[in-house]
Amino acid sequence: MSTFEDKVNGRGLFIDDVRLPDMQYVAFFRSEYARARVKHVKADFTSRDLQGIAAAAGEGSESDVRTPFREPILAGDVVSYVGQPIAAVVGRTKYEAEDKLSEVEVDYEPLEPLVDPEGAINSEPILPDAESNIIAENYLGKDFNVDASVVVEERLYIPRILTNPIETRGLVAHYDGNNLTVWISTQSVYSIKEAFSRSLSLDPDKIRVIQVDTGGAFGLKGGFYPEYAVVALISMRTGKPMKWIESRSEHIVASRPGRGAIGKIKLYADTRGKVLGLKGDIIVDAGAYDTGMGSFAASYIAYQLSGPYAIDRQYIHAVSVATNKAPLGPYRGAGRPEAAYFMERMMDQLAKRLAIDPIDVRLRNLSSSSFVSPTGLKIDPARPFFERALREMEYERYRGMKPGVSFFVLVPAASGGEGCKITVRDGLVHVWLGGSTHGQRHDLLVSKIVSNELGVDRGSVVYELSDSGELSKGIGAWGSRTAIVGGNAVIQACRKLKDEIVKEKGGYSPSMLTDLDKSVEVFADFRGSLNSFGANLATVQINELGQVDVLDVVCYYDVGRAINESVVREQIEGGTIQGIGQVLSEKLAYGKDGQVLTSSISDAGVLRSTDFRGRITVKIAEFPSDLPHGAKGVGESPTIGVPPAIVSAIENVSGVKILNTPIDPLSLTRRENE
Amino acid sequence: MELKFTLNGEKRQIDIEPRKLLIDVLRDDFGLTSVHSGCDTAMCGACTVLVDGKPVKSCNLLAMQVQDSEVQTLEGLFNEHRMKILKKSFLKNHGLQCGFCTSGMLISSFYLLKKGRESDDDEIREAIEGNICRCTGYVSIVKSIREAADILNKTSLEELEMKGEER
Repeated sequence: MSTFEDKVNGRGLFIDDVRLPDMQYVAFFRSEYARARVKHVKADFTSRDLQGIAAAAGEGSESDVRTPFREPILAGDVVSYVGQPIAAVVGRTKYEAEDKLSEVEVDYEPLEPLVDPEGAINSEPILPDAESNIIAENYLGKDFNVDASVVVEERLYIPRILTNPIETRGLVAHYDGNNLTVWISTQSVYSIKEAFSRSLSLDPDKIRVIQVDTGGAFGLKGGFYPEYAVVALISMRTGKPMKWIESRSEHIVASRPGRGAIGKIKLYADTRGKVLGLKGDIIVDAGAYDTGMGSFAASYIAYQLSGPYAIDRQYIHAVSVATNKAPLGPYRGAGRPEAAYFMERMMDQLAKRLAIDPIDVRLRNLSSSSFVSPTGLKIDPARPFFERALREMEYERYRGMKPGVSFFVLVPAASGGEGCKITVRDGLVHVWLGGSTHGQRHDLLVSKIVSNELGVDRGSVVYELSDSGELSKGIGAWGSRTAIVGGNAVIQACRKLKDEIVKEKGGYSPSMLTDLDKSVEVFADFRGSLNSFGANLATVQINELGQVDVLDVVCYYDVGRAINESVVREQIEGGTIQGIGQVLSEKLAYGKDGQVLTSSISDAGVLRSTDFRGRITVKIAEFPSDLPHGAKGVGESPTIGVPPAIVSAIENVSGVKILNTPIDPLSLTRRENE
Repeated sequence: MELKFTLNGEKRQIDIEPRKLLIDVLRDDFGLTSVHSGCDTAMCGACTVLVDGKPVKSCNLLAMQVQDSEVQTLEGLFNEHRMKILKKSFLKNHGLQCGFCTSGMLISSFYLLKKGRESDDDEIREAIEGNICRCTGYVSIVKSIREAADILNKTSLEELEMKGEER
């Protein structure tokens, strides 16, 4: 990959910078309706010419998608969301391709769309072959009756949020008559490769996927999209390299947003705040087709709903519902932030009902021993961590400011392990990982580990972006997993390399290594689950217009062992602003007709430099994992913990009960007006 | 149509379609790939360049609008001392994560420092308000710019020119 020096000199190689001889440009004609019959299409490429299904890939896609909910790569007889690709055109330049879109003819017969996920549960199916709009449904835990003095019940809602990396999606595909090579901005070349193989029924040995500099992702770029398959197929038809770069307006309507979850939660408690039972419905707005994440999300939220708390009785109904919107994807945290938001809001409501300090309610429900929830969530002894968190965050000092506090557990997506290849060539140690950076500074992680393990200086370690032509097996970068399993894979690869050298040469020294021309590849498996506990404290100030100023955000997160402390800190800072955005402004808005009302990146509520001028205090807790480097995960901690802490602070200061985000400033002024 | 302008210090002349955007002329016709397209709507600032010394979003300007003007991209500011100091500070303070917004961020920061005002955090935040970063939460960017400003405030430009590369 290009180095950070290259990037500050404007010499990165992002996907739009990739140019091949005779390369052409693909543009997509997209549905203008949320739901319609397509009676006639005239274009260069339509569903009659290019057939295939967008295979599920990336985080949450372990299970195969059920047939009626699979997205065709180009819409056939029906369109099911605004922005769905119907046809593709090709031009020698971007301008020519876009001009050709005006020649595309589509006749629609509009149908009544289903936009509200709750309403869609019992409505006629939106897809022709489906029996209902229920993409996935599960009951977690066990039904119970409990004699409780207090029952608190609320409906909470987080709307869909766009990932909005500053670099949108894009790829270049080239089929040379035998092999397909794809250059792409991605979180995983392996999920993309496998999905290409499944979508196009191609031999995986004939596909090579190469990651280029990736300008942010936040969950967006681990998945596989219809456009990718279309671009590759057009290259296969024409023999020419094809490029597609998503525009921001395409990103808004047709990429996969995250969140979009409703929680109807009931807490059964005694008068001292001990929660005796948890019941609820988790309803996820999965959009028109299942991408893997769509069906996975509801159960995943339900599974971890109780967070760090030891709640013995749980019974949760989880349902992912198809609606006439773009399919759902992961957004930084992918289910974890939704669960934590629901639970932390409920803890605050319970505290209010009982007029007990919300901290006391939380502590009362934490255990000092390990706990396995009825849904299967494994929790380490949580109480000591959170007692310590209150001291570290100086809760008592902030008390007069009516702070909001949140407790949570991050369970990273570490299971499955990761692959690593090391090649020593010309005195340099090149390292490839299965999941590579899209902004997390994995270069610093890798160079430090390699330097520690092999005794070479960090300057001779070359961190490479993922390439399925180099490392044969890998997973991807998501779910706070890379420091954990990627780091472990680097260690295992280093040790294998060292062992081989000792066997061959009878000894090892760094200079022996750099004199060699040698390669090793490992896949370091990892099974089991880790807990990264975290706590947040936030203070706010609200003016007479209801505008919220976030003053202080304090983060106390367990990262296992910080491999590079400044990188950990910066991940937390960046995620904190995303968490504030979720509370104050971020939302993908739809009209009742399923039209997308959000029109730009500003409109989507992404925060600017002037939107938050408060202070972020990061305190790192280090309770090492059992892995050789002790790492846990941190990338998603702030988007999990920050929103509920801020909402809680806003509620405390305004006195207005808050269930949904983003918060409408007007709702905070209501109390005084009434 | 014929476009005549000064690009990174060199006089240029090119025949282009009148509808062509400045960003596309810079990237496609001159290979200046520091200029990034992020939003197409003049909101994210990844495409920021200097036109006659002022920061402009090149995705919302027809190339013909820079007729007879002077355009500078990050590539053309390579030898500017202020830019060198900014780049070093961005690298040292991790003022970038994915690096996609970085060129535009550097141009807006450069403009701020060139104006030569004392830069407190509020002024820095105002100066980069038109540049969206989704990774850093702006904290390390503000820190990078402040440190560069502090270095410049402590050192006169002449001194910097003498010391040049070492700073």
